[in-house]
Amino acid sequence: MRDTFKAMTFPAVLAVFLLFAGMLFVYFTNAMPAFHRFGIDVYLKNVWRASEEPSEELYGVAAAIWGSVYTSLIAIAIALPLSVSYSVFVVDYAPKWLKNPLIIISDIMAGLPTIIYGLWGALVLVPFLREHVMKPLYEHLSFIPLFSYPPTTGYSYFSAGVLLAIMVTPFASAIIREAYSMVPFTYREAVYALGATRFEATKILIGYIRPAIVSGTILAFGRAIGETVAVSLVIGNTFNMTWQLFAPGYTVSSLIANQFGNAFIYEYMTPVLYAAGLALFLIGLAVNLLGLRILGRWEENVKA
Amino acid sequence: MSKLNARKLKEKVFLACVGVLTFLAILPLFHIILSVAARGLPVIAERGGKFITGTLSEGGIGPAIAGTFLLTFLAALFGLPVAFLVGLYAYEFPNSTIGRWTKTLLQIMLEFPTILVGVFVMQILVIPMGTYSAIAGALALAIILTPYVAVYTHEAMREIPFTYREAAFSLGLTRAKVLFRVLAPMAKRGILTGVLIGLAKVAGETAPLLFTAGGLYESYPDSITRPVGAIPLLIYQLVQSPSKADHQTAWGASLVLLLIFLGIFIPIRLSLREVKL
Repeated sequence: MRDTFKAMTFPAVLAVFLLFAGMLFVYFTNAMPAFHRFGIDVYLKNVWRASEEPSEELYGVAAAIWGSVYTSLIAIAIALPLSVSYSVFVVDYAPKWLKNPLIIISDIMAGLPTIIYGLWGALVLVPFLREHVMKPLYEHLSFIPLFSYPPTTGYSYFSAGVLLAIMVTPFASAIIREAYSMVPFTYREAVYALGATRFEATKILIGYIRPAIVSGTILAFGRAIGETVAVSLVIGNTFNMTWQLFAPGYTVSSLIANQFGNAFIYEYMTPVLYAAGLALFLIGLAVNLLGLRILGRWEENVKA
Repeated sequence: MSKLNARKLKEKVFLACVGVLTFLAILPLFHIILSVAARGLPVIAERGGKFITGTLSEGGIGPAIAGTFLLTFLAALFGLPVAFLVGLYAYEFPNSTIGRWTKTLLQIMLEFPTILVGVFVMQILVIPMGTYSAIAGALALAIILTPYVAVYTHEAMREIPFTYREAAFSLGLTRAKVLFRVLAPMAKRGILTGVLIGLAKVAGETAPLLFTAGGLYESYPDSITRPVGAIPLLIYQLVQSPSKADHQTAWGASLVLLLIFLGIFIPIRLSLREVKL
């Protein structure tokens, strides 16, 4: 007997797979001219020389790749303590009437249009950070290399990292919260029965969900690295490869957002942008697969 | 005794830290909502109905609002049928190789950098057509919508008790009838939630529209093969302008976008359980 269900649904599944493979293919083929011309240097060098004369053109997107990774690292460094605290608070300590509102607030934050974060970030957050965080740090602690860049505009790796942290915290906490609430109740009873304080109990229970925290962090990193508009509004869009937190920078996605529109004027700029996109594609794929794998394995262990 | 006190003290410090950090985690949302309301309301109040219906040069965002609705509608038209079928497939064949891959692929696509989708659609649709268009923008949004709705469909179906499945099959129905006529209607609440959340999500997307929709703010969209505007895209362009008046329009537009988003999201969220974004 022919299975009409399979006949109806399989084409849709096939279409989604083909779409994904098609994306990889399109990025790869369009990036090829850049690889032929610049080789691996397109990823290793930090140079952006556009020219109408193709032989004069020279590009390397290392700064943008660095910026994507660096801002995302700043973001998860800030988001991790926030989201763990939030999860512990919601599951263990929040009074009943506060639990649901807290979860709803976090869900709204996770779904809020990113452009609203971008607008708020560019016009409210950055001026605030510049006046109250960057300037004091620069004035008093600029002997530390991290803080040695003068925060003239405020648009910087630091601003982008903070904004991304705000955006990914609810996302990471959704995963961590779910895992934390899955810890069997008997474990809690056992820990408290031993006379642990709430601090000690939480420390032990957090240890139990460590894989879920790791994967939540990795997935948040994956989300931060792909974010485009909010970042491109606060990062300053300058090719700058540095640890200095207050220096303006670039990320792959903001580079694409800013340069793609006029890239067709130059012969090699479009392929280079596709090459940058391909790098982002593969980094995102690897990071997300890793995060999902760790999470999946942990869930299997818990349920078994 | 002193040891006990040290432990108690540690606990107190810890609880205070958790409370403060939790507060810090959710504080930005309130600040964002208040900022958008405080800076957006005066703009809308000052320009009145013109702000909602007028073109950009008249100080309004009418075409952008129309564009957002058009794009979201078209994205739903392209994306929902595929998403529904893929979600059902992933539910029905969870242990087959393709079924497992489908699930993984959906989860990956959920996390995918949205700007890459926009550039992809530009390459396959905008360049051959020679113009930015509503179709291209909607296709990009549909690619982002599909995994959301498919994952929700999958989750909603999984919550139906297994006995209903057994009962339906024992009546001698075919697999297609069991799934489309019996089980899917039972999960329609969950599926509908997924659809609405997906729509709320894509209505606020900017990056995938950058190189596909083009933007149209001086007249209302009249053809799906021509460029179209969208509220998020307009805000993005206005923020980058140095003029203060443009920033004001951006705040007003953000308030409209925020209200659309909250208007879809809050009712669903209040009526249903966990939301996975």
